[in-house]
Amino acid sequence: MILESIEIANFMCYAGSNKFEFTEGINVIIGDNGYGKSKLFDAFYWVMYNECFDTNKKKFQKSPFLKKLIVSDKAISETKEGIITASVILTFKNLDKGNVYILERNYSVKKEDDILIEDIDSKEVVWQKDLHYLTAKEVTDSEQISRIKKTILPDNIKPYMWFQGEQVESIIDFNKTDTLTQAINVLSNITRYDHIKEISENLKESTTKEFNKKQRDLSSDKDKSSNLELQRNHILDRLKELQKQELQIQDTKATAEEKSEQLLNKISDAQKIKEVEAKRKSIEKNLEETQEEFTEEQKLLHKKLFTNKWVLKGTEKLFVEYSSLYNNYEQTKLKQELTKQARIESENQIMIELHARLPVDVPEPIHLENMLSNEHCLVCDREAPLGSDAYIKIKELLDRSKTKVKSIESEDSNIHDFGADLRKLYQNGLGLSHNIKNIDDDITSTFRRLRKLDKKRKTLTDDLNAIESEINSLIVDTALNVHQANDLLNQYNAQNELAKRAITQENSTANEILKRKQELQQLDIELGRLVSGEIPAYLIEKLKVVEEFNTLAHSTRRRVFDSLVKILETEANQHYQLMTQGNMSARGIIKLKELNSGKNYMPELTDENGNVLMQLNTGNIILIKLATIMAIISARQGSRDTDLYTLITDAPMSVFGEDYTIGFCKTVSNVYRQSIIMSKEFYKNMELRNQLLTNPDIKLGKVYLITPSIPENSRANRNQLSTNIQALN
Amino acid sequence: MTKEELLRSFLEDELFVEKSYLKEGEYKNYRWAAPSKHKLFEVLKTSIEGELSNESPQITEKKINQFLNKQT
Repeated sequence: MILESIEIANFMCYAGSNKFEFTEGINVIIGDNGYGKSKLFDAFYWVMYNECFDTNKKKFQKSPFLKKLIVSDKAISETKEGIITASVILTFKNLDKGNVYILERNYSVKKEDDILIEDIDSKEVVWQKDLHYLTAKEVTDSEQISRIKKTILPDNIKPYMWFQGEQVESIIDFNKTDTLTQAINVLSNITRYDHIKEISENLKESTTKEFNKKQRDLSSDKDKSSNLELQRNHILDRLKELQKQELQIQDTKATAEEKSEQLLNKISDAQKIKEVEAKRKSIEKNLEETQEEFTEEQKLLHKKLFTNKWVLKGTEKLFVEYSSLYNNYEQTKLKQELTKQARIESENQIMIELHARLPVDVPEPIHLENMLSNEHCLVCDREAPLGSDAYIKIKELLDRSKTKVKSIESEDSNIHDFGADLRKLYQNGLGLSHNIKNIDDDITSTFRRLRKLDKKRKTLTDDLNAIESEINSLIVDTALNVHQANDLLNQYNAQNELAKRAITQENSTANEILKRKQELQQLDIELGRLVSGEIPAYLIEKLKVVEEFNTLAHSTRRRVFDSLVKILETEANQHYQLMTQGNMSARGIIKLKELNSGKNYMPELTDENGNVLMQLNTGNIILIKLATIMAIISARQGSRDTDLYTLITDAPMSVFGEDYTIGFCKTVSNVYRQSIIMSKEFYKNMELRNQLLTNPDIKLGKVYLITPSIPENSRANRNQLSTNIQALN
Repeated sequence: MTKEELLRSFLEDELFVEKSYLKEGEYKNYRWAAPSKHKLFEVLKTSIEGELSNESPQITEKKINQFLNKQT
């Protein structure tokens, strides 16, 4: 089936009437981003499925949800009153059967007084005509329309033939368990083997029942046989249960291993992020402690002026001076005391002598006072005027009665002796003088410690900055933040743990299965022994044949499926090598890895020694997937599927570099009889465009350049927007 | 895929050589119309015919049962 043309009228950005004609080979529609490539893909899809791809919602939307969005803004704007219809017509030609199918879909809006009345849904019209006749006949039967559409593109093939570039990821979804297996099922005859296997299963079950019944009927001890049969059925039930359990465990194990492997790609990054983060935290903690220590040390610096007597720094001279003064003072004081002592002793001597001449209080003091007041000595009856020797002598006699023997203590009793204070000062000074000697060392050591802490603080700050910068780079490079990295590691460990547990369970289940099978064998022997008559030969033979048939059906199905996988692998590698020819750095071999005990196969890239290549970028992954999709199609070459259906894809090359573009086109033109590719790669790169137009290895169909009718900066006003189509060959 | 191709894909199985139903490599030239050497061949052919003619599995199973129940 060849798609001959698409006619687009007033559909989205395709205002007015537009037509693309296609031929066999690779047909390319070139246009930059926003030039209408995706809308063209939508046009194809809309006719067939009444849906358009909503790039915002990343899903297809039916016409009733899109309504006026289907119709060109320019067409609406230019129509004052009346009906505006968007329509797309696809013309398919089936050269082998001599048929032409014309599929049209249209949607209308009505404009009345600037009010837009939208149709509820689109309308579909299908014509069929014989290649040799001019007139076509409208097909009205919905079932026939559905059959025609399935002839054009069966539903199970659709995902591999009509897709958006951004859908490639999901066509072969690494997270879905059976995508590739489904593809193999769809595009191969494997279901035939499945059906035959099912027949063999049923036959084995019914024949075994028939055989057991016969055994029972011929039993010499029917009760015992029934009993053994009962046990046998129990064991069989348990075996079924165990086998089911075993499959579940194998599934769990395979899924866990698969998830682990998927995570393995990023595990080294996550591990590194975790290690660096741990290092960062340790540095951060160390820095906090150092900062605290530094701050504390700075506070202590002020206290140490007093606690460590730093305030006395430079007072050594004062102490020396004071010592000297105090020494002089002590000596002078000692001398004065000695002199005073001598004087007192002399005075005391005189007093003692006086006592010897005249007793004390003779004459009595009262008479002596009279004598002084009268200035007349009554003892000798002579005048004693004030100030005369006689007067002084009388006064001495009076004073002598008041005078006692003096001591140095009594002499100074009324004067404060500062000697003790000065001594205390001296002694304090003496004590401090030892501290003063150590102050310099103490200050030096304190400041050395402060400098050391400051240096450590700065080094740690630098380390912290460096490690934070390292983490940021890692986050950018690996697209993992610290939280995600930890999650990933946890998930990885959890999956590994799950796989380990599954292995233990698997072993234990396998042991039990073995044990039950042995029990079953034993029961069969016992049941056989009880048979008294002869089991008919045909039945024995029948059982043998159906058992062989069952074994054969299982092993053949497995072998055929494995060989399909091998073919797919070979084909995928051929396409991958062809697509990556332009890039010398591309390497690796695609391997389809068996998962879930053959339930699924996933493509992975390995080196020549079979080691899995990790750290694949998105471009690589898409290339592998595209190669695998193409393999699914090309492996069916000869079965006519690839000849029958047209590949239509929008921007399939957008995720990988331009190095692969020509390789991709060569491969596509080899694999598909007809393909229609929307691409921006050839828009600016004229060299690439020339290669496309001239490369003899590319089976080229038609090439078109599409451009919007209005400049990019005016495109906000879509009322003027239409699309120019220019044929380049 | 023709019924002969489908049959050969089964006959390729090592079981046929192990049980001496076929000689090594004999499956390659085996014809659909060739006389069956063993009941297994007939069973296989019946199931293939049933599958290729979109026959219901129950009918195919019945045919096989009838064939194997013949007490020759």
